[in-house]
Amino acid sequence: MKVLAAGVVPLLLVLHWKHGAGSPLPITPDNATCATRHPCHSNLMDQIRNQLVQLNSSANALFILYYTAQGEPFPSNLDKLCRPDVTDFPPFHANGKEKARLVELYRIIAYLGASLGNITRDQKVLNPNALSLHSKLNATSDTMRGLLSNVLCHLCSKYHVANVDVAYGPDTSNKDVFQKKKLGCQLLGKYKQVIAVVAQAFQTGDLEAYSDPRS
Amino acid sequence: MLTLQTWIVQALFVFLTTESIGGLLDPCGYINPESPVVQLGSNFTAVCVLKEKCMDYFHVNANYIFWKTNHVTVPKEQYTVINRTASSVTFTNISLLNIQLTCNIRTFGQIDQNVYGIRIISGLPPEKPKNLNCIVNEGKKMMCQWAPGRETYLETNFTLKSEWATEKFDDCEAKRDTPTSCTVDYSPVYFVNIEVWVEAENALGKVTSDHINFDPIDKVKPNPPHNLSVSNSEELSSILKLTWIDSSIKTFIRLKYNIQYRTKDASTWSQIPPEDTASTRSSFTVQDLKPFTEYVFRIRCMKADGKGFWSDWSEEASGITYEDRPSKAPSFWYKIEPSHTHGHRSVRLIWKTLPPFQANGNILDYEVTLTRWKSRLQNYSVNDTELTVNLTNDRYIATLTARNLVGKSDASVLTIPACDFQATHPVKDLKAFPKDNVLWVEWTAPNESVNKYVLEWCVLSDKLPCNPDWQQEDGTVHRTYLRGNLAESKCYLIKVTPVYADGPGSPESVKAYLKQAPPSKGPTVRTKKVGKNEAVLEWDQLPVDVQNGFIRNYTIFYRTIIGNETAVNVDSSHTEYTLSSLTSDTLYMVRMAAYTDEGGKYGPEFTFTTPKFAQGEIEAIVVPVCLAFLLTTLLGVLFCFNKRDLIKKHIWPNVPDPSKSHIAQWSPHTPPRHNFNPKDQMYSDGNFTDVSVVEIEANDRKPFTEDLKSLELFKKEKISTEGHSSGIGGSSCMSSSRPSISSSDENESAQNTSSTVQYSTVVHSGYRHQVPSVQVFSRSESTQPLLDSEERPEDLQLVDNVEGSDGILPRQQYFKQNCSQHETSPVISHFERSKQGSSVNEEDFVRLKQQQISDHISQSNGSGQMKMFQEVPTANVFGLGTEGQVERFETVGMEAALDEGMPKSYLPQTVRQGGYMPQ
Repeated sequence: MKVLAAGVVPLLLVLHWKHGAGSPLPITPDNATCATRHPCHSNLMDQIRNQLVQLNSSANALFILYYTAQGEPFPSNLDKLCRPDVTDFPPFHANGKEKARLVELYRIIAYLGASLGNITRDQKVLNPNALSLHSKLNATSDTMRGLLSNVLCHLCSKYHVANVDVAYGPDTSNKDVFQKKKLGCQLLGKYKQVIAVVAQAFQTGDLEAYSDPRS
Repeated sequence: MLTLQTWIVQALFVFLTTESIGGLLDPCGYINPESPVVQLGSNFTAVCVLKEKCMDYFHVNANYIFWKTNHVTVPKEQYTVINRTASSVTFTNISLLNIQLTCNIRTFGQIDQNVYGIRIISGLPPEKPKNLNCIVNEGKKMMCQWAPGRETYLETNFTLKSEWATEKFDDCEAKRDTPTSCTVDYSPVYFVNIEVWVEAENALGKVTSDHINFDPIDKVKPNPPHNLSVSNSEELSSILKLTWIDSSIKTFIRLKYNIQYRTKDASTWSQIPPEDTASTRSSFTVQDLKPFTEYVFRIRCMKADGKGFWSDWSEEASGITYEDRPSKAPSFWYKIEPSHTHGHRSVRLIWKTLPPFQANGNILDYEVTLTRWKSRLQNYSVNDTELTVNLTNDRYIATLTARNLVGKSDASVLTIPACDFQATHPVKDLKAFPKDNVLWVEWTAPNESVNKYVLEWCVLSDKLPCNPDWQQEDGTVHRTYLRGNLAESKCYLIKVTPVYADGPGSPESVKAYLKQAPPSKGPTVRTKKVGKNEAVLEWDQLPVDVQNGFIRNYTIFYRTIIGNETAVNVDSSHTEYTLSSLTSDTLYMVRMAAYTDEGGKYGPEFTFTTPKFAQGEIEAIVVPVCLAFLLTTLLGVLFCFNKRDLIKKHIWPNVPDPSKSHIAQWSPHTPPRHNFNPKDQMYSDGNFTDVSVVEIEANDRKPFTEDLKSLELFKKEKISTEGHSSGIGGSSCMSSSRPSISSSDENESAQNTSSTVQYSTVVHSGYRHQVPSVQVFSRSESTQPLLDSEERPEDLQLVDNVEGSDGILPRQQYFKQNCSQHETSPVISHFERSKQGSSVNEEDFVRLKQQQISDHISQSNGSGQMKMFQEVPTANVFGLGTEGQVERFETVGMEAALDEGMPKSYLPQTVRQGGYMPQ
């Protein structure tokens, strides 16, 4: 089921992630004002690119750490069990404008953030001793929180976009253990795949944007 | 059940007690404000409000209120009565941090009652925190620090606040023990700007620092690179390659590095130029290193743009560069050792192992070649650092090369001159001095071209032989330091030999210390010669083993037991010193210190005593005295020898043998000596002693009438002289005792006796064990005049009578007399006494004197002997007068001459008046 979010207060979103809620956030009105606690920094795009690089650099390690921690049959059946077949994953158009890409990025990170929240919650139960995995999941979630803050700040300050519709993945709280592990593995596989594209897109996109004035 | 009851009772007791105390403690009023906190330096007003109940009970109102701070009554000028129940007190410029303020009333005019009390806390509001800064240690949480500002004297809370543009983070409360820093609870998120500030708050206010906004990645302190390793290259002996693993942060930021290295034994680090390590990397090749040298490396990193903090240094890693051929020829020298083979000599070739930085690897062996003239003689491969060979007396050239795994060094060439080679051209101005804990040697090069210099040194010691070490310097060097393990406080003999193309030159030597110290033993001083006022001290030079430095000077300290110590500095070249101006016959303590540049050391104390007399002084006194004594003795002996007869007369007189005596026929007109015994011939020269021996021959026929006549005359004469007797006393030296049986002898002896000092007492003693039959005179110490004997001439007369009546036993008198030193005194005294006692008989005396003068005139005309005695001083006249009758005559004459200006006195009465005086 797809639920459209009319607007998101990032703080609430983050708080929900922290609590591992799998349900989508309520939709805020379209005409919500774009307000921040203090003025956004000027080099937000650099920070976003760096954050994407940071996420991309750790995505594969997180994926490996995850399926390794789940144990068999996951490590030996990655293609079957961890195939990045995630329905409802927000689309990303690497060739789009910066604003569109930022909006799509926001949706993707919001989706991944919520899903990582679910995974982190599940793994603390399913693999309580996989501290390295827990730490990695938390670090990734924290980075995504920062990325969302930067993207929102940038959309707000530069494009005056205060509302972005977001969608979330399925709630895994009622799934069995294997399904939780499998969904988590699939999501991380997807994350690894997508973040690479997105990171690459923003690196390239900047170059294109940089070259635009000359062309 | 019992427990429950007990509990209930206790609870009831507590309740009732509490209630009763609460009633008792119900205050009479209160102070507003209750718990004030005021700012230092500000004003403060407190109001005390009395309760009506209390006012009625104590019959007081607000006028009765008085205030106390810390138990001291506040002046009433600070009070203000607001109304009947309230009174206030105002304090200006509060400076105390803690004040106890009480409201009191005086009840019944004399009892002070405390109403209420509060505590005033003073302090300052917090200052704005400054210098807020944060650091993010990679993998850890962010920590921020700030300067809290001034002391507030109050409990002040510091809160670190942080937020993104889109959300706020939890506050970070600084802990009490670390009020200037706080570590947040959340993990840092890089690439998101965060705004941070600090709030400081206490009871007097709240203040906020400036906000700082930063990206945590710009405050990061990365973890240091790890797994640093070092590898060398066989191709290049001057490089080492470093590899390491960066921290995980390098996946999303660029890093730069600091790489430092040093040789293993060095303490300071060298650094790779930062521009060479300004980008992210995981390896680096260090160049321009020394071959076969172990290097130590370390590395650190930080964000490439310089924002943030350097990481800590990595763990150190070391590696050794690959070998290279020895870069320098070994130092090469030789020693010629004594050899018993004629025409040959034993030469010990010695060389130094190359230091690692020149060996460039492990030296496998040394190759030595010896060439005589131009023909190659022998090759040697030696693993040691010396080679002893037997050479002829010819000139040789030796070469030496060191070999390692990579190759050989250059050859070191040494010319061993022929035996008859004369070394010349030494270095000039050779000096050695310590500096920077090494011993430097400096010299001026000779004018000739020098191939190299050889420095040899050894420790100078009295106990150990000189075991030289050596080193070689290039010919261009004229200043170097000794590269041996030199010890401090040791004297080094350093010899510098220039080596020319044709052989070594003349060596020059110098002594030096690496570091001097005070001598370990002081000099032992002793006396070489001690005089009355001076002492020559001497000492031995300190052995070089105890000198510990160059002896610059000695100091001699000397003192007496009670005197101050005197110090004398003596040059170090001296080994003796003369202390002058000493006091004779005094014990001196002397000690000596030897000084180097670093201090001195005392030697043992030595004591000596100056003699009372200088050398020869005793001899100068004793010898003349002895000589004088000897001379005197000799003169005395000679005198005695010459006067032996006289002495004998006095000491061993010829004692008449009574058994051979005869009854004499006395006749005053009979010449006295016409019939003497042949023994009297000894007096034939007229040198008579006072001992008059009268031998009366039995066959001397004289008319009895003449005898009677002469006896009568004698008696008359004697009567006339008895009144003039002054008794018996000491006589002059030359006067001697005289055996006398006549009173005239007594009178004569009395004239020779000291009138004031000594008198004689009459003792009975015999001569030569003969029993004396008459009184003899002996000296007496008494000064009491022997008046009895003087004033009782009848006794003497009785004796005379006895003699006269007896006529058989001769009577002798001996005067024990002192020496003649005081001859004049008795005489003068005698004169005095004579004057006193002569007034009565003056007429007789005049008569006698006239007669004496007439006799003297008559006697002096034909007597040569008289002339001789006239030259004798007057003082000795009486003494000399004892020598004989002739002399007696002269004495009388002299006395008569003296009497013209002198008081009258008695004279010896042994004058013969016109003939022989019978005795």
